[in-house]
Amino acid sequence: MATILDTAAGAGCFNTLLAAVDAAGLRTALEGEGPFTVLAPVDEAFAALPPGTVQTLVDNPPQLARILKFHVIAGALSREVLTARPQWDSLEGAPIPIRRSEPFEVKNATVVQADIHCDNGVVHVINRVILPG
Amino acid sequence: MTATTAPQPTKAPLIPPSTHRYADVIHRLEAGGSMLPDTPENLQQIIGIYKAYAVPMDFYWRDLLYIAERVFLNPLPAFKYFISQEYLDRPNSYAGEQSQLRIWRGTEKAHPELLAFMERGETRRMPKLLHHLWHDRVNMEFAEACMQAMFWHQGMGGRFNDYLASDAYKANADRAIKAYFKGNPLMLGLYKLFPEMFLEQVRQLSYYANLGLFWEVMAPVFFEMSDIYDEGGFKGVPDAMNFLVNGIFAVAGRPIYHHVFIGGECFEIIPKSEGFTWLYEAALPYVEAVFYRTSPFRGTKSYNAQAGQVPADQADFHYGILYADVYPVGSAGIPPTLLMQDMLHFLPPYLQQIYRQHRRGEEDQLIQLGITFQRSMYNVTSAVIQALRCALLYPLDDTDPEHLLANRRFFEAQMDRFLRPEARLTDIHNQDYR
Repeated sequence: MATILDTAAGAGCFNTLLAAVDAAGLRTALEGEGPFTVLAPVDEAFAALPPGTVQTLVDNPPQLARILKFHVIAGALSREVLTARPQWDSLEGAPIPIRRSEPFEVKNATVVQADIHCDNGVVHVINRVILPG
Repeated sequence: MTATTAPQPTKAPLIPPSTHRYADVIHRLEAGGSMLPDTPENLQQIIGIYKAYAVPMDFYWRDLLYIAERVFLNPLPAFKYFISQEYLDRPNSYAGEQSQLRIWRGTEKAHPELLAFMERGETRRMPKLLHHLWHDRVNMEFAEACMQAMFWHQGMGGRFNDYLASDAYKANADRAIKAYFKGNPLMLGLYKLFPEMFLEQVRQLSYYANLGLFWEVMAPVFFEMSDIYDEGGFKGVPDAMNFLVNGIFAVAGRPIYHHVFIGGECFEIIPKSEGFTWLYEAALPYVEAVFYRTSPFRGTKSYNAQAGQVPADQADFHYGILYADVYPVGSAGIPPTLLMQDMLHFLPPYLQQIYRQHRRGEEDQLIQLGITFQRSMYNVTSAVIQALRCALLYPLDDTDPEHLLANRRFFEAQMDRFLRPEARLTDIHNQDYR
């Protein structure tokens, strides 16, 4: 199996996310043993944000890191495990609500592909960038 | 025979209509509109006042940062409103050629109308000190009142306030305090005796920085909106609101920090690396503290707290612009009046003309522009509500009824805040409310 970042790179639809991970200086952490659960927004999710949003974050790595950490949960959590609880604490600190199990929805994003198992965790692909609050 | 066309089948709504008292407003928000009705005069009024607000705001943000970063703990800050040339020339991060994200097409330095006013005031050209003593100047007291509202209410979301109580913050502040009073045994002795008093002053200065960084963004946003309107660019109130929504997203990740410069050295009391953002640590607390809550202004109306006339819970405070009765609030010397006076100096001609045509003409311009300001802030609040809906909930054209109901609950919860009798949401729907 590959790591979370290798898997994302191979998929070809997470280019913005991977660039953001590098800009925020989170690559080393996400290449660690973990395990992590990553809610990975596809490129279209970032593109749907109003102009300038991503650029401002990329220009400010600590602020970008905070938003990215909101997409990561400690532990390798499958869809079955995630949907068993109403919310999970993100690495950012704020909770991520699990709003529906069918269809599988995490906060205001829909999981378009769940349970991609990697060496150091699990990836769930989401259709929207999620924000704390 | 006249041909008749069969009526087009209308698409059934996915969720039933709201039964909320402000159902009409909620349906308008769900259609992508603003709380403020979309009329040409409303558009003209709000854009005109944004411009009049942006000019003094261009002074507020510069001086707030000057105080937070340079004046710092000066025990006798008599000259804190005498901003240094460096801060007057400080390039706005969102205007001018050098800006990474250019919001206003104008220049990065202080606005020319502001500079002209600082030189002449309402009276005539004279030394800065005389303008100050004659109170013929920008009313920084208004900016400080906003800062104090944020400082006093605290804990309105974000992590800024929690950080001010952390050991890391105390250690950073301690270093800056000791450096600032180096060689001053009296002040260092007082610091040793009353450390919390000094720390609390630094916390307040951190809110100066917070608000300064917040308004550094809003001034170019409002200037640009005024320019777009002058070019015929906005077709209605929703366009103006959407410009604000996009602006909120574009700068959401801007760092909020507090740096102090002492003897040529920078002390990072709140470093950028804490990850504090414009949206969570400045904009949302600002809207909550200033638009909704604030506190009763002295000299307007007496309240009996023992009789329950003032809410026991600070979260229920409702003395902000969205609830203000502008007439008594227009009393001399209190913060909203100071702002009205500041805006009066920079009204675009089309707004002056509107005010001359209504009520008492020039006699009650301050009240009329105060009500215009109220309308415009309902539009800004609408932008914040739509931005939050966009960030935390679902698109307005979502086809999943569950999602639309979640949006509905959110909008209804926001409108619940305007159910109290003091709210002006109903008034702003009446064009005669001036």
